[in-house]
This record gives sequence, C-alpha cells and structure tokens, in this order.
Amino acid sequence: MASPLDQFTVIKWADIEVAGYDISFTNSSAAMVASVALVALFVTMGMRKNALVPGRWQSSVEMCYEFVAKMLGDTAGPDGRKYFPFIFSLFMFVLFANLIGMLPWLHPFTFTSHIAVTFAMAAFVFVGVTLIGFITHGFKFLGFFVPHGAPWYLLLILVPIEIISYLSRPISLSVRLFANMVAGHTMLKVFGGFVVSLSALGAAGVVGAFFPLAFIVALTGLELLVACLQAYVFAMLTCLYLNDALHMH
Amino acid sequence: MPQLDIAVFAPQIFWLAVVFAVLYIFMSRSAAPKIADVLKKRQDTISDDLAEAEKLQASAEEARLAYEKSQEDARNNAAALVLKKREELKAEAETAYQKLSEELAAKADEAQAKIDAAKQKALAEVRDVATDVCSDIVSQISGLKLDSKVVSEAVDSKMTKGES
Repeated sequence: MASPLDQFTVIKWADIEVAGYDISFTNSSAAMVASVALVALFVTMGMRKNALVPGRWQSSVEMCYEFVAKMLGDTAGPDGRKYFPFIFSLFMFVLFANLIGMLPWLHPFTFTSHIAVTFAMAAFVFVGVTLIGFITHGFKFLGFFVPHGAPWYLLLILVPIEIISYLSRPISLSVRLFANMVAGHTMLKVFGGFVVSLSALGAAGVVGAFFPLAFIVALTGLELLVACLQAYVFAMLTCLYLNDALHMH
Repeated sequence: MPQLDIAVFAPQIFWLAVVFAVLYIFMSRSAAPKIADVLKKRQDTISDDLAEAEKLQASAEEARLAYEKSQEDARNNAAALVLKKREELKAEAETAYQKLSEELAAKADEAQAKIDAAKQKALAEVRDVATDVCSDIVSQISGLKLDSKVVSEAVDSKMTKGES
C-alpha cells in the first residue's frame, strides 16, 4: 500500500538544467503556475467590467483586496501601503496554493507542504523586512533588539533572547504553514487508507469503512478552513514583521 | 519524507521565484491599481451622491418652510378678512335695526295719535249724547225745558269726576 507521504513526492515532468543547476519543471512547478494563473484569472475576470455596482465575482475580488488592505492598514499603518501588492500577492498565492491542494480527483500537488518552498518565502520576507528596517532606520534598527526600560544587567540576557527570537521568525513562519499542510494532507490520506483496507475485509468492513469516510468528510471541511487560515496567518505575520521594520516598537 | 530530499529544493525554489515574480508584477502593475481605482471611483460616486442628496434635502426643507410660511400667511389673511366682514355685517345690521325701530316707533306714535284722536272724538260724542239724553229725560219727567248749556255743564262735571 502507498505511504500517506507519497503525495508529497516531487515528480519531474521535464528535465531542465542550467549552468549545473537543476531547474526541472515538476508537478510542484505546475501547481505554482496553476496557482498564479488561477489568481490572475480570478482577479482579471472579476474586474473585467470595472463595474460601479459590483457583481458577485467582482465583489469577491474586492473583498479579498479590502481584506488584505485592512489587515495591512491595521498592522503596519499607512507607511505599509506601498508593500500592499506584495502582501496581496503573497496572500492570494498561498491561499490558492492551499485551496488547489484540497481539490479531489486531480491529485494536485500542494507545494505549501514543502519546507523548501515555505522557507524560501519566509526567508525572502525575513530578509526583505530586515533590509526595510535598516533602510528606514539605519543602524538605529539594532535598537529593536534592546527592550526599553530594562536595567543593563537584564539586557545581557534580553538582547540575545530578542536576537534569537528575531532570527527564528523565518523558521516559525515557514514551519507553521508547512506543518499545517503536511499534517492535514497526511491525515486525510491515512483515513483514506483506512477506508480502503476496511473495505477489503468483506461486508462488515464496508459498513465499518463509513466511519473513517465520515471523518474524512469532516476533516476536509476543517482542512479548507486551515487552508484559508494559514494563508491569512502567513500574510498577517508578514504584515506584523513589516510593521516592526517600519516602526520598530 | 519527500520534503527532506535536498534534490527537489533547487527546482522548487527557482520556479517559486519565477512564478511569484510574475504574480507580483501582475499585481503591482495591473490588478491592484485597477481594483483601487474601482474602489476609489465608487467611494467618490457615493460621497458625491450623498452630497447631492444633502443639497436636495436642504432645498426641499427650504421649500417646505416657504410653503408653511405662505400657508400661515394665507390663514392670517383669511382670519383678518372674516373679522372685517363680520364687523361690517354687524354694523350694517345695527343700522338696519336702528332704522327699522325708528320707523316702527314712528308708526306706533302715529297710531297712538290716531287712537287718541278717536278717543277724544268718541268722548265728545258721548258728551253730546249724554247731554241730549239728560235733557230728554228731564223734559219727559218734569216737562221742564232745560237750557242745554246748564245740562252740558252738569254732564261735564259728572264725567270729569268719573274719569278721575
């Protein structure tokens, strides 16, 4: 029987190698392309009429836009507005990636369940906001690691703690998304495996298989929630980090 | 766990960078400004409409006040008119009453005068008749021929006594 982790296997569709680097087009790349294409389609088709009174589709696009704009405005304030396209892209990209991963039948690849991908995104965010912090505040940005009003002997402990917690941000940001997606998809596959193996046991097994099947149905609903929630959390934390970089404390 | 296979890192990160760059350029150049534009246009339209509605409401309020004022004026005018007419009619009625009562009084006086004259006449006739009857009765009983002057004096004295 296939392992529940087989769904995460990257399959090469086209071997491409440039200057000794493997940049093959894989099922993971295909999912990324599909995610971007669907986001672009969703936005373009939704906004094709530019209607003053929006239809359902345009309303959905505007809702996503205003949701992210509000999130960014609430956390990073007006200074963060110029990073809106990035946050919006990030949110929609992760959201669509997670939701595509929830599609049945097609066995789509969920690239947010790969630590390489989530860590690349988190590292980009981390490096980006750190650069923004230094560009905005210069070397005063290092004051971010010094808590206000603490006595000097406590600073000896607090500053390293602050630095470690800052450096662990990309790890927590990437592992949160990665672990959530892996756990959800693995659990679905495990219970799917229960249905198959119980059904193989005869009539009683087929009846018994309805219990894990019902659980899968409920779990699918939960995973849809997690898909949206994790996209939100990822974008939200990026906004918070951006706010720290723009305004320090 | 397939995720820990280092061989799949490079192609995934490469494609992630390419694909996300495309999405970012699309969002920042095309989609986000377009959506922002639509939202701004809608916000402007709404605030314009609200301002227009406020203006119209103000003018409607003005019209209402003018209407109320004109109504109030008309009511006052009508009341004044009614009052004036009533005074006029009252005065007219009074003069008419005055005139009528004078006429009636004149008629009554005239009638009284007629009655008085008739009464005088009747009394005079009664005296003559009484004088004649007295003379006749005396001549019948006593055979005396009385002087009419004496008789009439006696009758007069009796009548004035009776009258009083």
